[in-house]
Amino acid sequence: MKIVIGLFLRASVVLTGIALATFALLWNAPGDPALAIALARYDAIVTPDLVNEIREQAGFNAGFWPAFQAWFGPILMGDFGNSSVNGRPVLPDLMSSVSYTFPLGIAALAIGMALSLPLAILSTKRPGGWLDRFAIAVASIGNAIPAYWLGLLLILLFAVQLAWLPAMGARTPSHAILPALTLGLGVAASLTRIIRSGILEARGQSFLPALSRRGVPQNSISKDHIALHAAIPVVTVFGLELAFLLEGLVMVEVIFARPGLGSFLVEAIGARDFPKVQAAVLLTALIFVVVNLLIDLFYKVLDPRIGDHDA
Amino acid sequence: MLKLENVSVKRGKSIALKDVSFKVDAGKTIAVVGESGAGKSTLIASILNLASLASGKISWNDKPVRKISPALVSQEPRAAFNPVMTLKQSVLEPIVGQKKTLLPDRLNRLCKGLELPIDLLDRKPSGVSIGQAQRVGIMRALITSSPLILFDEPLSALDAVTQKHTARLISDLQKEEGFAAIIVTHDLGYAAAFADDIIVLKTGCVEEYSSAEEFIQSPKTQYGQDLRNAAFALGALERAS
Amino acid sequence: MTLQVFDLSAIRSGQAILHPTSLSIELGTRIGLVGSSGSGKSTLGHAIVDALRAQNKRVAHVPQSPDEALDPLRSFKFHWHEAERALDLAHDVSKQRTLFSALKIEDADLRKRPWSWSRGMQQRFVIAMALIGTPDLIVLDEPTSALDPIVAAKTMELLRDHLADKDVAMLLITHDLGLATQHVDRLIVLDKGKVVEDASTHGILVAPKSPAAKSLSTHRSWLSLPC
Repeated sequence: MKIVIGLFLRASVVLTGIALATFALLWNAPGDPALAIALARYDAIVTPDLVNEIREQAGFNAGFWPAFQAWFGPILMGDFGNSSVNGRPVLPDLMSSVSYTFPLGIAALAIGMALSLPLAILSTKRPGGWLDRFAIAVASIGNAIPAYWLGLLLILLFAVQLAWLPAMGARTPSHAILPALTLGLGVAASLTRIIRSGILEARGQSFLPALSRRGVPQNSISKDHIALHAAIPVVTVFGLELAFLLEGLVMVEVIFARPGLGSFLVEAIGARDFPKVQAAVLLTALIFVVVNLLIDLFYKVLDPRIGDHDA
Repeated sequence: MLKLENVSVKRGKSIALKDVSFKVDAGKTIAVVGESGAGKSTLIASILNLASLASGKISWNDKPVRKISPALVSQEPRAAFNPVMTLKQSVLEPIVGQKKTLLPDRLNRLCKGLELPIDLLDRKPSGVSIGQAQRVGIMRALITSSPLILFDEPLSALDAVTQKHTARLISDLQKEEGFAAIIVTHDLGYAAAFADDIIVLKTGCVEEYSSAEEFIQSPKTQYGQDLRNAAFALGALERAS
Repeated sequence: MTLQVFDLSAIRSGQAILHPTSLSIELGTRIGLVGSSGSGKSTLGHAIVDALRAQNKRVAHVPQSPDEALDPLRSFKFHWHEAERALDLAHDVSKQRTLFSALKIEDADLRKRPWSWSRGMQQRFVIAMALIGTPDLIVLDEPTSALDPIVAAKTMELLRDHLADKDVAMLLITHDLGLATQHVDRLIVLDKGKVVEDASTHGILVAPKSPAAKSLSTHRSWLSLPC
């Protein structure tokens, strides 16, 4: 219980820090947000009076700390404020964009796991063999290819040349195939290398020869012991992997013209819609922190020695 | 003379050492025995000024011990060496800047006594066996000519025959040079054969403090007797016939 | 019955670390395999276990340290069940209780993972596990070196008492002739990967023939060292 409270406190500190940092960054960003809002709202000619009025309304005149408090206070109660461009509440828009992004992220992870796990297991059958070298080569190339380039190639092949799959939008589930594949291949590339080295390291554990001398069959040793030890480094990097995934999602949603957290963020930045940008950043940070928190807890179950100084 | 007066060390909330007092004269050896967790390594750390004392005093001829730079033989033979340096560089490191006229002779003699080929010192720690690394660790401590040498399980990685040769070499050098030695070991046979006095630690306290002869003849405490009987049962000591 | 192995050998990076060795071991006997470090004792121990397993003999091996026998991420219970399954035995609570009480494994929480028990208890658990199927031979590789002396002595005593009335052969691998003399009747002396002497313990103590046996014999006790 103590551990859970400790983790929770740490998470709150991180989130508050992130809120403060994004707010400070946007506050000090070049360009006049009030002018941008005026242009977005009225689009034609804007007078200096109009810009001033907007500045006053949005609280930009009040100074950094009052503005931060005015924004962050309500968030603690679950109120993310209203868009400074169209005046609508931020939260419903944010949630609807998440409802596109979340399944896409899960699909990408599933594709990543489905490809990397068998590939890693195959490659470790004979370390240094041709299959292993092939898998490493594929994984290295996969790691080096950026998502925006791979996404365009996939569009070119499957949407333009073969016309099997739609390229743009998110009307049907089949619209999600190409974006999920783009992300999933990237995930698979890095996971393959991690799982592979996890398995190889687990195989070097000093207690394994004793198990076979005890008569435990080889496949039970792989399943009951090696897999568990190999899982530890995989879980460790999973938190990092998520960061890459979120980053990739932004790119992929823009390329495939899909609604979602990424497009939401990019549009909000373009329009200098501060409340929206901050809400999106905070949500991303929250996902990141929560997942890492779960990983920390999972560790304690998997291997209670971790973080235990007496052991 | 090394002197510990009522030394206590805390580790977190628990007490790692409690009220430990003893003396070691120059040229003498004291052996510290006891089960794991009894505070043997904490005792070494506190003499080396690596553990802060909750109370008490440790001194060498009424001066702080660090003035005489005591040498340590670590219980982790390989981890005690810088992995990117050759063993020779590590061995010579503590005596940088000292007069080196007699050094080659001394190195040769130590290598011979420790049954190590002299070219072994040109290797890195990863290139030697753990037993060899342990003996190089002993060499590094002996070459310093420090008046106080701490041996933390110095023979644990050696086989029975090499243990005895190595113990004999340490003892011969001690007779010539007169350093004081503290040997932490759980081998009561070694302690009985080479120490003047034996201290038995149990849960941080001195359970028994006897001369080696006394201890072998008749330990004063029940725990001391248990230890001695265990040494008989393991063949580390032989009953007088 | 006699256990027999023929022409065991081992080569590591082009060098023979064990020359062809044949041995026979009578059931119910206690044998010591002694030699200096690097003489090939552990290698021969492993080779004997592997060869006898290949002959479908029941044989158990206890490594030097419990770290080499137990998966730190798995509970004692898991290890026990796994060892039973490996021998095609059903879970037998009374057998477990008998072995635990013989080796004084008391108040033990089997749901724990290895590192939460003391090393002495871990080592005794490994020995108990080795005895599940009542093997023909149990090979102990330096069983006391990772333990405190009182615990080590107690463990050896418990094992000796447990084996006293059973037809289980014991092979004790050690560099310490002093330890071996306390527990075995026959000694096999190994030097540079070769068996150089194989005789009764008493015979080797009184009249060692090979240089290796002589050296082990004169250095067996701390208090009677040659000058």
